[in-house]
Amino acid sequence: MTSVDPAGENYQHALDRYLAAQLSGDAALALRQLNDLMDAGHPPAEIRSRVVQQAQHEIGRLWQLDRITVAQEHAATAIGQVALSHLFGRSQFSARLGVPVVVACVSGELHDFPARIVADALEIAGFDVTFLGADVAEASLLERLAANRPRVLALSVTMVFNRESLRRTVQAVRDAFPRLAIAVGGSGIRDCADPAGEFGADVYIRSAEDLAAYVGHGEAGAHG
Amino acid sequence: MADPAAGVSGWEAESREFALLCDPEGVILTADERARTKAGLEPGMRLLDRAVPGTADKFSASLQRAMHERLSGIELSLRTSEGLATCAFHLRPEAGGRVGLLGSLLPEDHGRSLRQMQSAVNEVLSLNRQVVRQAKELEAQKERLERTVAELADSNRGIDSLRLELEDNAEVLQRTAEVRSRVIANVSHEFRTPLHTILGLARLLLDGADGELLAEQRKQVQFIRSSAEELATLVDDLLDLASAEAGKVVLRPEVFKAADFVSALRGTMRPLVPPHGAVELQFGEPSASLSIESDRSKLSQILRNLVSNALKFTERGFVRVDLQEEGPDVVFRVQDTGIGIAQEHYALVFEEFGQIESALQSRVKGNGLGLPLSRRLAELLGGSLTVASEPGKGSTFTLRVPKVHPEVRELHEIQARPIDPARAPILVVEDDRKTIFLYEKYLAMAGFQVLPVRSISEAQQRLATVRPAAIVLDIMLDGESSWSFLGRLKADPQTRDIPVLVVTVTNKEQKARALGADEFWLKPVDQDLLLRKLRSLGTGPSTRVLLIDDDERARYLISHYIAGEPYRLIEATSGREGLAAARQQRPHVILLDFLLQDMTAFDVLDELKADPLMRKIPVIIVTSQSFGPEELQRLASHTEVILSKESLSRELALNRIRDALQKARASGALVEGGAA
Repeated sequence: MTSVDPAGENYQHALDRYLAAQLSGDAALALRQLNDLMDAGHPPAEIRSRVVQQAQHEIGRLWQLDRITVAQEHAATAIGQVALSHLFGRSQFSARLGVPVVVACVSGELHDFPARIVADALEIAGFDVTFLGADVAEASLLERLAANRPRVLALSVTMVFNRESLRRTVQAVRDAFPRLAIAVGGSGIRDCADPAGEFGADVYIRSAEDLAAYVGHGEAGAHG
Repeated sequence: MADPAAGVSGWEAESREFALLCDPEGVILTADERARTKAGLEPGMRLLDRAVPGTADKFSASLQRAMHERLSGIELSLRTSEGLATCAFHLRPEAGGRVGLLGSLLPEDHGRSLRQMQSAVNEVLSLNRQVVRQAKELEAQKERLERTVAELADSNRGIDSLRLELEDNAEVLQRTAEVRSRVIANVSHEFRTPLHTILGLARLLLDGADGELLAEQRKQVQFIRSSAEELATLVDDLLDLASAEAGKVVLRPEVFKAADFVSALRGTMRPLVPPHGAVELQFGEPSASLSIESDRSKLSQILRNLVSNALKFTERGFVRVDLQEEGPDVVFRVQDTGIGIAQEHYALVFEEFGQIESALQSRVKGNGLGLPLSRRLAELLGGSLTVASEPGKGSTFTLRVPKVHPEVRELHEIQARPIDPARAPILVVEDDRKTIFLYEKYLAMAGFQVLPVRSISEAQQRLATVRPAAIVLDIMLDGESSWSFLGRLKADPQTRDIPVLVVTVTNKEQKARALGADEFWLKPVDQDLLLRKLRSLGTGPSTRVLLIDDDERARYLISHYIAGEPYRLIEATSGREGLAAARQQRPHVILLDFLLQDMTAFDVLDELKADPLMRKIPVIIVTSQSFGPEELQRLASHTEVILSKESLSRELALNRIRDALQKARASGALVEGGAA
């Protein structure tokens, strides 16, 4: 498909420059790429998915190809986290909806980047988000759920080997909070035929927007 | 000769490097000692089984490649006996499809630091999000506030339009009432003429001028006459009531003695007492010194009404009129021993045509207008008319009116007010009291002093002693004489510069301008227009406030506080400068900073108090300092008040300035200080 989308071209150029800056450890240069895009009128949400998230995939691929070391990956990821935070601050927030949501990575899952993207998107859309981060032990997850009483719990899995952990976590949450809606997502379960059903969750979500729509349309309301 | 290896050998045990030989599946064929001790790798193990989940796929691909080429810097996360460790490998092809590996364990704390750094970054970013959230919340609050402000503005506009509607309605109502009153007045006039003809003719007939009447005829004519008389009273009362309601009653206050008033009343009421002698009309004696300034004829009309009413409804006993002074009021009581009124009918008797059914009522029917009219007149005199009664025992009507009519008193007060040097005097030549009050209301608020005079001659007398900042002249006042007054004002070099604003009901702008009027307006005058004009003439008040403070910010603050107030601020940036300014410009009040660079506030105060011309200028200390008891005492003896800079607000500053000015005015200091 040839490019008839000037925005797409902008994004491609920005992505290349952003990634280069990220790999060279230059956070300021990386953020500048994002600011340039925002100044040109591109919305933060789009920049987040088309630049920051894309670059993070690319970094994973480069590590997989032994093109970068673990240390480089960590440094680049840290810049990616700063970029997310930067975009978060520049976003136009919707009115608060008063709907509590908890976002967490299952136990053993060390990559919290995608989960962070989901948490940010939900918060910007007006939800009251509690982000628990990477590798959340089952017990502390249950504790937080009891304290926060969310409408929806979103669990993230990026590595295939964490599927078992996901299965266990969903089961434990179901036992403790039978009416809580559970959403699952992440590259770790992307290849499953029926990711939600397979792990006993209510819904499988592909993107932050998916989850926002699911939470926002009240589909989760019945589970209160 | 030393051993060439001495000092550089024997470190093998500390090395974190180890060598392995694997088959293409990654099964360890050979492992050196450090591989066993440091990495826990033994021959026969599958290297990939030791890999941390998620890294094995990548490493297995590298193993495949290493059968054909040398690779370096390939990382694998291993589970060792001590936990997780990252290991960088060099790989090379060996004979038989096997792969040789040189592994290098990264120091443990390296990985730990990375993880710590990562969590530190995450921590900071969480904080950052927290800040963003707060900023967004602030923004949202600001928006809400702006919305609230906008809503308030909307409701203000709503209230404004409601007010306008109300005003419109009030106007319509007033117009309706006026039309009604006019109709009544006209009809009454039309009635009067034929009535007087009937009365006159009846009298002629009864006088027998054209021959004596037969007894029966006489009786009939007497009936005609008394009926016509009743009708005439009704028409007169209607007429009075109509004009009272239309606000057309002209008040003619005069000073008279209460005793004279009562004796006149006695004279007019005597003939009304029925001749059978069962009812006595008594009058209490008022104090000889009591005098009243009000509309005498209206007062007398009310009392005549009350007394004739009382006589009408009293068959035996007495009707008594008393009056006495009660504070600022004079109270008339008309007491009777008549039929009385039940309490539930008190309100009814003051209603137009509101009469009560009773035996005596039906016999001695009044016209039903006397009491409503009396009450209306009492209100016009600034007072009230009330009743207390018991059926069968009698009634007491109480008329309470101010000894001095309120409008008269107010005018007296305005006229008697001494000239305030802090205010620009405006001579208002106007005979309508209401208009004078109007001028007084908004000019006083804007810092002017209204000097009202009600005639041209009064104006001339006043001009002989006062030079006003401007003159507002109602030209219709005395007709031609006010035109010539204007002409004389503008011809006299003494008064020619006093701006004269001509205000009148008919458009005579050309004539006014030709005679030298500085402004011409048709009545009613828009108050903003008047104020703007007076201010533009430079007649604004000129109370001078001297501020001595070397702190520019403090001066800025104070100057902002008093902006828009009728004060002129003189700023001095040091004690010396302040004293010089005080000497030259003679301010009405001084605001003095306690901590000056060049001299202490005590020095400034001492110099001020040493100079008789400045001694009485009130001084307000403005300070951020707290004082000891001695200092306080010393300051208190020389200053009005001490203001703390910390708690200084606009209201506080202005109130203190006003208080100080008022006190100085009361003590006479201002006249001295303001005469400059």
